[in-house]
This record gives sequence, structure tokens and C-alpha cells, in this order.
Amino acid sequence: MHPAALAAVAVAALLPLPALAQTAYPLTIDNCGVSITIPAAPQRVVTIKSTATEMLLSLGLGDRIVGVGFQDGPLPDTLAAAGANLAVLADRMPAQEVVLGVEPDFIYGGWESNFSGDGVGERPSLARLGVASYVAPAACRSVVPPRLNFEAVFDEIAELGTIFDAALAAAALIDSQRADLAALVPDTRGLTAVWYSSGTRAPYVGAGTNVPAMIMDALGLDNAFGDVEDGWISASWEAVVDANPDVLVLVDSTWNSAAQKQKLLAENPITSKLDAVVNQRYLIIPFPASEAGVRNVPATIDLARQLQALSFPAP
Amino acid sequence: MARSSRLTAYLALWGLLLVSVVAAVVFGPADIAPLDAWTAIFHHLGLVAENPLPLMRDSIIWDLRLPRVLSALGMGAALALAGTVMQVMTRNPLADPYLLGLSSGAALGAVLFLLAGAALLMPIGAFLGSLGALALALSVAHLLGGATPSRAILAGICIAALASAATSLLIFWSATGGSYREILSWLMGSLGGAGWADTGMVALGLLLCAPVILASGRGLDAFAFGDDAAASLGIDIVRLRWTLLAATALLTGVMVAIGGAIGFVGLVVPHAVRLVVGSRHRLLLPMSMLVGAIFMLWTDTAARTLFDPRELPVGIVTALIGAPAFLLILLRYRRIT
Repeated sequence: MHPAALAAVAVAALLPLPALAQTAYPLTIDNCGVSITIPAAPQRVVTIKSTATEMLLSLGLGDRIVGVGFQDGPLPDTLAAAGANLAVLADRMPAQEVVLGVEPDFIYGGWESNFSGDGVGERPSLARLGVASYVAPAACRSVVPPRLNFEAVFDEIAELGTIFDAALAAAALIDSQRADLAALVPDTRGLTAVWYSSGTRAPYVGAGTNVPAMIMDALGLDNAFGDVEDGWISASWEAVVDANPDVLVLVDSTWNSAAQKQKLLAENPITSKLDAVVNQRYLIIPFPASEAGVRNVPATIDLARQLQALSFPAP
Repeated sequence: MARSSRLTAYLALWGLLLVSVVAAVVFGPADIAPLDAWTAIFHHLGLVAENPLPLMRDSIIWDLRLPRVLSALGMGAALALAGTVMQVMTRNPLADPYLLGLSSGAALGAVLFLLAGAALLMPIGAFLGSLGALALALSVAHLLGGATPSRAILAGICIAALASAATSLLIFWSATGGSYREILSWLMGSLGGAGWADTGMVALGLLLCAPVILASGRGLDAFAFGDDAAASLGIDIVRLRWTLLAATALLTGVMVAIGGAIGFVGLVVPHAVRLVVGSRHRLLLPMSMLVGAIFMLWTDTAARTLFDPRELPVGIVTALIGAPAFLLILLRYRRIT
């Protein structure tokens, strides 16, 4: 063998490039307490919830999607073109029969509860029909995942890259998101925050283990409910008032918009006294970006920009 | 019950109520010294010049805890009173304030308003819904040939089932993401976020309806023996029944609007009090109100503090305590009868 070629082989052997290798099928992976076997790269995919749809579109796999259900909101501008012609099975949860009607070989659910008798079907019964089911790992409840961090989000991207034999696209996406994240400068003003997701009588707020905690941590915000071992909790207004956070992160969803939240906060005699409400210090994140997925990093960058624009009186 | 022991019982209950209020205001996720808390309240009442608490902590005591504690008191008193009346009027020991479809109607109204994007107007929707359900139930009973207790109950069950189905359909059809949780917590009954406006509504409902009911104690005694017995005592039973039904419905409608369908208070408290003081309504009604108020205050305090900083719908707590308590009462009854 030519010395140069020999050197190339040696270098190739040393480089940590397993993620870029072609996927060897059948592929067996452990997903949320269930072992799933994928015989070949899935060709007919149903995605439930926005996070699942956006993940596949971001990996350039839009042509594999044969139907979407239970989308939480419009696609972001970056994916709007790629997802313009997706077949919507149902605005809400599509029934099992509707899902099976498009003959999927892979169902990707943003929540574990999507896989139930009154949802798209139980996972074992889908498996018997030869349909692989995949739960977004951060949303797993059967096997509670460790505190979420961006590496875990990237792991999900990489895992889907493997499943769909699209490791290159996954690696490129992860690299670019990792670079964006590395360029992010956390706020150093020592600000506290409450992540207000929904609710009026009892606010549903971000706690210590999921996307809210992960993003607030990256932003350099001190999460008032960060000590609670849960993703989100129904808190009491008293606890929020007691924390009196410097900023409020408002989740903008179709059923409870950021504008509605601002109105409620300003009209409620108690919350209207909060520093963040008096000074209108709000950060706004679209709902689909507030669950684990490809939009977390761009949303974090956007929130950092919003945060930077807020001014605080010198302490 | 002898006159002296009656007086003692009243004094004891009022004392317990007062102590409960003093103590409950002190409990909460925010750490505020009891003395400061009460000094702040006295400051607002104009009794103390200096407020020891800064703005935000003062707001926690004055805008959150005190109105909530007072709402819970009024709510408990009202539900226990309404439950007592419904039990005797329908001569059905399982009757509770929601018997005639009131809570299901209220739920439908509230969910309609919530899904229409008017979450803040939910109480109004609930109130309209409960009155609508009651009117429907009574019209159905009337169609069946007159609003006797059994017909009213049957009509109520029918309307309740219909309203519940409509509510479920609405939720299934249109609720997304967070609104599920909101509706669920309301359906289970919760005083979360109750403010002075709610306290005012509860007080108004009680002031309007409770005197009417309390003044009918003798009539209710007669009712317990049946319509004929009541009529033979010279009581205008039709008029009395409609008056009491209207007062109870209005009272319950207001309560459901504020706190959702908080279960078991209106069912269990009247039975428990009846076991101790007997079934003379001039005693039973006010005693039930006092016991209901104290019970509700403590269950709500538990709901908002047990899992700090989480908030639990109080309906879960009242059911957790109320169901076994009801069982105990049934066992006691078996021994008596």
C-alpha cells in the first residue's frame, strides 16, 4: 500500500466519526423504557406535536412525513417552506384509525401520552403492526430522564439522524446549534426569573428539570422554582409574588397568548405590583419552542437578545 | 340539646373559627412572621399606624391570604348550609348542594367562557350555567307533573348528565395544551387566586340567601316529616319550597362560580353536625355553617401549603378527607338506627 494511503487509513481509524457512519439496519434502540427495532430507514412517518414535525423538517426529512397531528402552532419561518405541504391528519389528537389509515412505518410523538388507546395507539400494539413508535426522550415519563441540558437535546437530534440514516444532516445541525450556543453570552446582572407557561388561578410555571430550567440557565437567569424536581408545576401566586422575579418569561401559545398573560398580570391586583410587571420586563417564547427540540437553541438566542434589550436601574 | 350546652357549643365553635383564621393567615409559601402579618392587617383596618411589611409582602397578606381565608370561610358556610337544606327538602341523605344539576351547569358555562378566550369571566359563565341548569331541571320536573322532591332529583340528574356530556365534548373538541389543566383544576374545585372581589361575591351571596334560609328553620323541621305533616301545621309548603330552592340555588351558583364544584363539604358537614346536635334546624343550620366554614378553611390552607410552592385544587383535599369521614358517619348512623 502507498504510504500516504496507509496514513489516511490510520487517520480515519483514529478519527471519532461513528456518528457519520451509515446506519446499519436493523437498528434496535431503547426509547423511553421500550426497545424498538427499526428494519430500515423509515419512509412513512406520522409526527404528533410540533416538536416532532420540526425535528424532521430540520433534518431535511419532510418528504418522509405522511401526516402530522396535534400541532401546537405555526412552523417557524425557517421551516415554513419545507413544511408547507404537510398532510394534516387532525388539528387535535388524530384517532388511531386515522393514523393507521396513512400506513405509517414510524410514529414520532412529542409526548409519551400521545401513545394511548384514545391517542394514536398503545406502543406494543403498534409494534405488532410493524409500526415503530418513538417518544421525544425529554418528554418520557415512564423512565424519568435526568435534568435536561442542551447535550440531551443534541442527543435526540443525533438519534433521529441515526434512525433515518441522516447522520450527516444531524451532525451539521448539531454543529451549527452548538456554535450558536457557544457564542451566547449569559447575562451577568444576577437576575431572577419565573417562567410563566399558562394558567390564571394557579400559574403553571417552569421548574427545575426541563426546557425552562435549561434555557433560563443558559441565559444566566436564576430560576425561582429551579429547586423543584419537576419540569413544570402548578405553583401558587403567593410563591410567585414572594419570589418577585426581575423578569418574567411568558410562553406564547394559541390558547393562552403572551398578550393575554400580560393583561392578566397587569389587571390582577397582586401580580400588578411585581417588579417585572410594573416595569414590563417580559421575555416571550413561542410555545412549540418551549418543549425540547430543534427550536430550543434559536429560542434561547432570541430570548438573550430580548433580555439584553431590557434595562435595569443600577443596584 | 340544653340551652346552656347549646351556648357552650356556639362559643366553642366561634372561638375555634377565630383561632383558625388567626392561624391560617400565618401559613403560606412566603415566610412572613405571624406578628408582622397581623400587624399589617390591623394597619389596613386603620388600627395600627405603621405597616411593618414592605409592599410585596404586605400584598401577600392583604391581597392573597386574607381574602382567600375569608372566601374559604364563606364558601364552607354556604356549602354546608345549602347541603343541609337540600338534604331535608329532598328527604335524601345523599343530597348535596349540586343535586339539581347546578355544578354541571356551572362547569358547562365556565368551560364555554374559558374556551371563548374569556378566562377572567369564568365565574360569570359558571353562575349563568348553574342558574340555567336549575331552571331547566325545574321546568322538566314541572313537565313531569309538579316539582316534588323525587321529580326534581330525577330531572336534575338528567340535566346534569346532559351538561356534563356537553362539557366533555367541548373539552375534547377544542381544549389544547394548557387549557386542559385550567379546566381540570376548576372542575375539581379550587380557591387558587381568590381575591377581594371573590370574597365580596361570597359575602354578598351569603348575605342575600342565608337569612332567608335561617329564618325557615321551623318550616324545615316540618318538612322533615313530609309534605302532608307540614301542611297540617299550617305551612304554605309550595311557597316555602320555592323560596328555599331559589335561595339555595342562588347561593350555590355563586359558590360554584367562585371555587368550582368543591365536593363533600355540603354532603358531609350536615350529617356530622346532625349526629351531634340532632335535626332541629334552628340549631342545625347555623351550626353547620360554622363547622363548614372551619372545615373549608383548614382544607384550603392544606391545599395551598402542603406541597409548597405547588398549589393543589382544594376539591381533592375535601374529597380525601370527606369520603372517609362520610363512611365514619354512616357507620355511626348504623349504630343509632
